[in-house]
Amino acid sequence: MFKAILYTQWKWSRLPLLLMVFAGFALPLVSAQGVESAVHDYWQTEDMLSSLQSWGLVYPLLAAAVGLGLALISWSADHRGKHIYALSLPIPRWNYVLLRFSAGACLLAVPALTLWVGALVATAATALPAGLQAYPTILALRFGLAAFVAYSIFFAVSAGTNKTAGYVLAILGAVVVVQVFIDAVGWDVPFLQPLLLRLVFWPGPFEIFTGRWMLFDV
Amino acid sequence: MSHAVEIHDLHYRAGKSFEIRELALNVPTGSMYGFLGPNGAGKTTTIRLMLGLLRPRSGRIVVLEGEIPREAPRVLARTGYVPEQPHLYPSLTVAEALRFHAAFYRTWDWKWAEELVGAFHLDRAAVLGRLSKGEMGKLEMLLALAQRPELLVLDEPTDGLDPVVRRDVLTALLEYVSQQNATVFISSHLVHELERICDWVGVMDRGRVVVELPMHSFKNGIKRLRIANAPTLAGDTPFVVLAREQTDGGAETWVVRGWQAPMHQYFEGVGASLRDVVDLDLEEGFVELLRTFREPTR
Repeated sequence: MFKAILYTQWKWSRLPLLLMVFAGFALPLVSAQGVESAVHDYWQTEDMLSSLQSWGLVYPLLAAAVGLGLALISWSADHRGKHIYALSLPIPRWNYVLLRFSAGACLLAVPALTLWVGALVATAATALPAGLQAYPTILALRFGLAAFVAYSIFFAVSAGTNKTAGYVLAILGAVVVVQVFIDAVGWDVPFLQPLLLRLVFWPGPFEIFTGRWMLFDV
Repeated sequence: MSHAVEIHDLHYRAGKSFEIRELALNVPTGSMYGFLGPNGAGKTTTIRLMLGLLRPRSGRIVVLEGEIPREAPRVLARTGYVPEQPHLYPSLTVAEALRFHAAFYRTWDWKWAEELVGAFHLDRAAVLGRLSKGEMGKLEMLLALAQRPELLVLDEPTDGLDPVVRRDVLTALLEYVSQQNATVFISSHLVHELERICDWVGVMDRGRVVVELPMHSFKNGIKRLRIANAPTLAGDTPFVVLAREQTDGGAETWVVRGWQAPMHQYFEGVGASLRDVVDLDLEEGFVELLRTFREPTR
């Protein structure tokens, strides 16, 4: 059963997956441009690290895009068929959802692996200045984990009906409206910011997307 | 008599306008059960409830001795389902759709599936999204049959198909039933089609089952009677009067259900005279039945 589900998911996502693979491989190579051993002082090293750090923003964005894309693809065919086919298959609903989720998660490994390969190639091709280290494996693992977090969240949201997605959007909208109201009234009650901080910092689920995403660092 | 499908006191509501109420159905094991009803009667909803695709508000559904929806996966493993609308993944080829479907059924018969691919003239490399309606109908039937089900649930399986494809599909179905003694539950509004193949019939309208009985009783028991000097009030008749109409010369035409030959004595008892008894075909009987159901005072 898993093989059959994985096959369908691969078939639906192979073109987007090709783009993800290309981006995953190219990103470390592109971000490593300009890193050279011929830096002599602290300030040159600092500039180089700043340049690397600006590329570091692209990694979590790509991870989120990969997760979002594969999550939407996982459900798109079933949504189009109003889930009649999936529901008429002789397996419990939770089992079907688990199979679809696992198949998508397996496909996530492909861009993460190519990012790892790209990072290894970039590391091998770069003569690092003294004091800097390469972290290709850690970066790829982190990318894979971030993509998995994004995939899990979007998979759960897109598994529901349009109504469910509407509720989620309505809740998010309500949170923003409450914050705007609080600001307008002038109350000194921080509402949105603590909520975001809880989501973004440990143990919030989005913590993985924050911080330094560096292929080369001290 | 054992039943492949038993539904008791089923209640389901979708929105404000559509409701299934107090639905009761009994499909005898090994029968070809024709589920008749006009468009919008609730046939597809009943089928989806029967297979656990929808959850009822109340009532009890037992299919192949399994409680629905609790035991739906076990029941679905022994049930072939052809839905009203094609629902297969359109980007797959015929061969891929077969492999995908087969992966979920232990009883899948590859040999027979390949034979049916040949018999139905399906191109294994064709993408489902580009199949014609007839080809898609044949593929749906193939998928349902090749899993060797004990129960086949077919929701308007030949609707919109040309006569040649319809014949191919029904032939495959009848061959399977004759080999396996499977139960077939087939919904349709094509009354003549069911008349030829079904031995039981259930009629549904506006979310309720109007009648459920063996096909021969349905066909033989509904008659059109021509009566002279018909009584103003029918009174306590030994049959059910579905409709009555004035005709030329003061005579009346009655459409009745549950007719048997000795009942002509009733008319002698009330001073009327029975001129003629005309057999109605299933479609006429079906139409009269629905008309009476919708306008009970007529």
